[in-house]
Amino acid sequence: MKLSFILGRLLSAIPTLLILTFLVFIALHLVPGDVVDIMLGTQNFLSEEQVQQLYSRLGLDKPLMVQYGLWLKNFFTFNLGTSLRTGEPVAKMIVEKFPVTFELALFSIVFSMLLGVPLGIFSAVKRNSKPDYVIRVLGLVGLSAPAFWIGAIFIVLVSGAFVNFTLFGFVPLFKNPGVNLQVMLFPSITLGMMVAAQIMRMSRNSMLDVLSQEYVRVARAKGLPAKKVILKHALRNALVPVVTTAGIQLGYLMGGTIVIENMFALPGMGRLLLQAVNQRDYPVVQGVVAFIGVLIVLLNILVDILYSLIDPRIELG
Amino acid sequence: MKGETRKLVKKFFHNPLNAISLCVLGLFVIVALFPGLVAPYDPLKMDGEYFMSSPVGAHWFGTDQFGRDILSRIVFGVQNSMMIAVLAVLLAAALGTFLGVIAGYFGKIVDGVIMRVVDAMFAFPALILALFIIALFGASVPNLVVAIGIVYTPIFARTMRGSTISVKQNLYVVSAKALGKSHLGVIFREILPNISSILIVTFTTNFSTALLSEASLGFLGLGVPPPTPTLGGLVGEGSRFLLAAPWIALFPGGIIALIVLSINIIGDGLRDTLDPRTGK
Amino acid sequence: MKRAWSVLLVFLVLVLALGFGAGNLKFAIETEPVGLDPHLITAFASHRILENVYDGLLMYDAEMNLVPALAESFEIVDPNTVVFTLRSNVTFHDGSPLTMEDVLYSFERIRDPNMGSPAASYYTEVSSIRDLGDNRLEFKLNVPMVAPLLHNLAGVNSSIVSKEFVESGANMQLQTNGTGPFQIAEYVAGDHITLQKCANFYEQGIPKLDSITFVIIPEEIGRVSALRNGDVHLAKISEPVSLNMLSANAFTIYRQPVLSYYLLGLNDQAGALADPRVRRAISMAIDREALIKMVAFGEAAVTGVMNPTVEAWAVPPSAFPEFSYNPQKAKELLEEAGYGDGFSFSITAAARYNFDKVAQVIQAQLAQVGIQANLDMVEWGIFIQKWRDIDFDSFVSMNGGSVDPDKQLYRTFHSEGSTNKFHFSNARVDELLEAGRLETNLQKQYEIYAELQYLLVEESPFIFLYSPNNLFASTLRVSGFSPMPNESLTELRVTEIQ
Repeated sequence: MKLSFILGRLLSAIPTLLILTFLVFIALHLVPGDVVDIMLGTQNFLSEEQVQQLYSRLGLDKPLMVQYGLWLKNFFTFNLGTSLRTGEPVAKMIVEKFPVTFELALFSIVFSMLLGVPLGIFSAVKRNSKPDYVIRVLGLVGLSAPAFWIGAIFIVLVSGAFVNFTLFGFVPLFKNPGVNLQVMLFPSITLGMMVAAQIMRMSRNSMLDVLSQEYVRVARAKGLPAKKVILKHALRNALVPVVTTAGIQLGYLMGGTIVIENMFALPGMGRLLLQAVNQRDYPVVQGVVAFIGVLIVLLNILVDILYSLIDPRIELG
Repeated sequence: MKGETRKLVKKFFHNPLNAISLCVLGLFVIVALFPGLVAPYDPLKMDGEYFMSSPVGAHWFGTDQFGRDILSRIVFGVQNSMMIAVLAVLLAAALGTFLGVIAGYFGKIVDGVIMRVVDAMFAFPALILALFIIALFGASVPNLVVAIGIVYTPIFARTMRGSTISVKQNLYVVSAKALGKSHLGVIFREILPNISSILIVTFTTNFSTALLSEASLGFLGLGVPPPTPTLGGLVGEGSRFLLAAPWIALFPGGIIALIVLSINIIGDGLRDTLDPRTGK
Repeated sequence: MKRAWSVLLVFLVLVLALGFGAGNLKFAIETEPVGLDPHLITAFASHRILENVYDGLLMYDAEMNLVPALAESFEIVDPNTVVFTLRSNVTFHDGSPLTMEDVLYSFERIRDPNMGSPAASYYTEVSSIRDLGDNRLEFKLNVPMVAPLLHNLAGVNSSIVSKEFVESGANMQLQTNGTGPFQIAEYVAGDHITLQKCANFYEQGIPKLDSITFVIIPEEIGRVSALRNGDVHLAKISEPVSLNMLSANAFTIYRQPVLSYYLLGLNDQAGALADPRVRRAISMAIDREALIKMVAFGEAAVTGVMNPTVEAWAVPPSAFPEFSYNPQKAKELLEEAGYGDGFSFSITAAARYNFDKVAQVIQAQLAQVGIQANLDMVEWGIFIQKWRDIDFDSFVSMNGGSVDPDKQLYRTFHSEGSTNKFHFSNARVDELLEAGRLETNLQKQYEIYAELQYLLVEESPFIFLYSPNNLFASTLRVSGFSPMPNESLTELRVTEIQ
């Protein structure tokens, strides 16, 4: 049952990806200013023929549909092409950048789950008490401040307060874990703050929903101890929307770390994408978009599976 | 019915935070509606005398690098940002709820098709979408509304679908269906009222993030073009001078936080008030 | 116990400090190179790295004088001919010796139409490049234009590459093999580039550093914090206001006025802008001092047609009333041109290098004389396309400058010039430009260019604004670093760190 569901979802993801990459391809080519324009800038000394040669050398003189077809053909043979700017293979660029973004997104989501879920449940159970108010307001504040604003404040405070703390200068986790964790700490917290607040709210609301449901009330009326009711019955069901939120947020974090990566100078996918878009480096944009697309589709399938594991009333497929 | 409404209002104002937030939000709405009455200066007026001045008597929130009054720019920024965020999230909520409820309610092929499109939208990097729309149609307020609105649509669609599926399993929906009520009737009478609290929560949460999205786009140079002030744009401009002139970013950032905070508290209050299952 | 720990800690810190110390400079820069092929790169960020890896025949010293690099000396035989003598003891980073063949091959490669090299146009007037034997190389020109040729030879785009290396199929955009003082040891895109000292550089004792790590930090606040934290020793400063955060007794500040200049480019055929009186009025309605204060925080200087620091050629901006703020005169000129009630036009700008900010200030200043400037803020790629297609009323941008008047003026103001995107065409200007580049008598040449400068201000095809200071800051451990007027960082080869 499960396997066929997963296979079905994977197959149905193919049109999603085709639509996605096609839209991105068309979008990028419709936007004024192409890779050659940006390469030459406003200090352009080339003759018209030389510019034409540049287009044909980069394979940009072919009709758009042919270019997309070629890209697609290569994509299905796992060849993402090479950057028009640097000549580097796109796959290699992605392999280099992805771990950075993944680490950032993972740390952020772990941080936000660890902070958000317990606080949310505590808040719901202690509804309308003083701790509930404090937690809610704190959560709301976390939700309300712009991420790059918080990031900038961290940078100022940390660079003022700790002399020996490495805030910039990314090194891979397995090369130097100590420095890596230092560098990743504040970006993860900055990015995780808002997600934590969101997850906290979701947990609280969903917990309140569940607590007011018939079966919980029945369980309570039956005289089961409160803790048991909460942990055994309520939590399970309350987690459904939380998982959705976390899944959605993880997806967003994968593609949405651009601002934080720029702020903290982390060499991740977001920065790669931003740079590639700015330079109209088509193969890189296409490759990164397709990669993020595949990732998000897989994530959505995972969320659906978790859904059915947590709430058996929901059937897969 | 009248008594019912009064009861709800009383319930809402029972929480002092709700009342305070409503006042704060009301204040900002007035500011947004009549910025000219509140702002002490023209937000675009450059004053060489006060060049990047810290807060002083003549400029309560200081001035930026062009000697423009930060307070006045915030006042007009409130108008622009709130307008963009409200319209964008309304667009997203309408589109997303429509897609999500239909997908969740009918399931099967309808669900499959809609969710594939939603997945594609989800996987569409927001930056490229924004760049695409802004590049093709020019940087302007309506285009930003559409760009942010489309980016937020899948969030509503997914959440509403999840809630619809969950509500669909409930006894009252199953029984309504069994009684032979029309799909439209079931959706409007049974499903929508039961997911409205989630919708309100999603709306308020995303209203805040929409304000922040506008900020991020401004930060990346894709927002409403200068010199038009928006709160996000102001923080973006100011964050470059955070070490030297913190007031430029701090004040508008604080205002964003304050507006969003009050809206979220009101959203929560409304949820608690409207939810028939609470407070009994 | 506690004591033991602190001893260990001190020891570790010492080891780290020493390991760091010995001539390894960490340099925070804002952008990373896009491509490493010296003959193809156009990005400034690539030039900045590769000028320390590759050499041309000539280079600039810190005072912008042309000095020998791979050419030991040169001799101007006649106005059409120059002969270079190559250095004999030069090796590429892969160990192979530099030969005349490599030099000839490099220029063939640059001039190959299939390459699309931006430097190809430098050599269109070169009729032949010949090996005279004895390490001597002759350039023959169709026209007597040796001076601009010499300037063109000093730049990364005219670097000498190894023929064998290129023909071995090496991907030149990814791999380097130069003759410069440093070689690329490690490049992690988006993160850092490490240059390693090249042991057998042709000049003894150069470079002084063992290695340079360029750390890429796009955000200004990040670079300043990294410098203050001691994570880097040297940093590029893009916002002058950041200097306030760096106390003078802990950091050295480097200010270098550059040759590039900000301009308000005008479409000389668009409505009111077609009238030179209107263009002069705009020039006088712009308060450049206020602009410099607001946008560049005073770290800039008003510039003229030639940069005033190029004393050999420049007519200083103070000689022209058009470069001083005079709204009264501007209004009179507008009146005279029939625009006494003002007019409106648009300014196109991208959020890059403060172009958007310059545009905002100009908009506010022009409003004072009744000119309504509408801002058209666009993304950089869109900007370039609009610039290329001359699809604008006006725009704010930056032009690279030169110490050579022909390089500075010809392509920009000649009606056929490749970067004349102003629809500017003036027969007398063309005449002077053509005469200037061919004139071999220095005094006569000066007179031609002086007349040209007056004429160009009279016509004001676009509005010259200012040239900024290039800013860097370092810890006190760094010495010998000096940025150059052309924004080049070749002085890194004599930089030291204690």
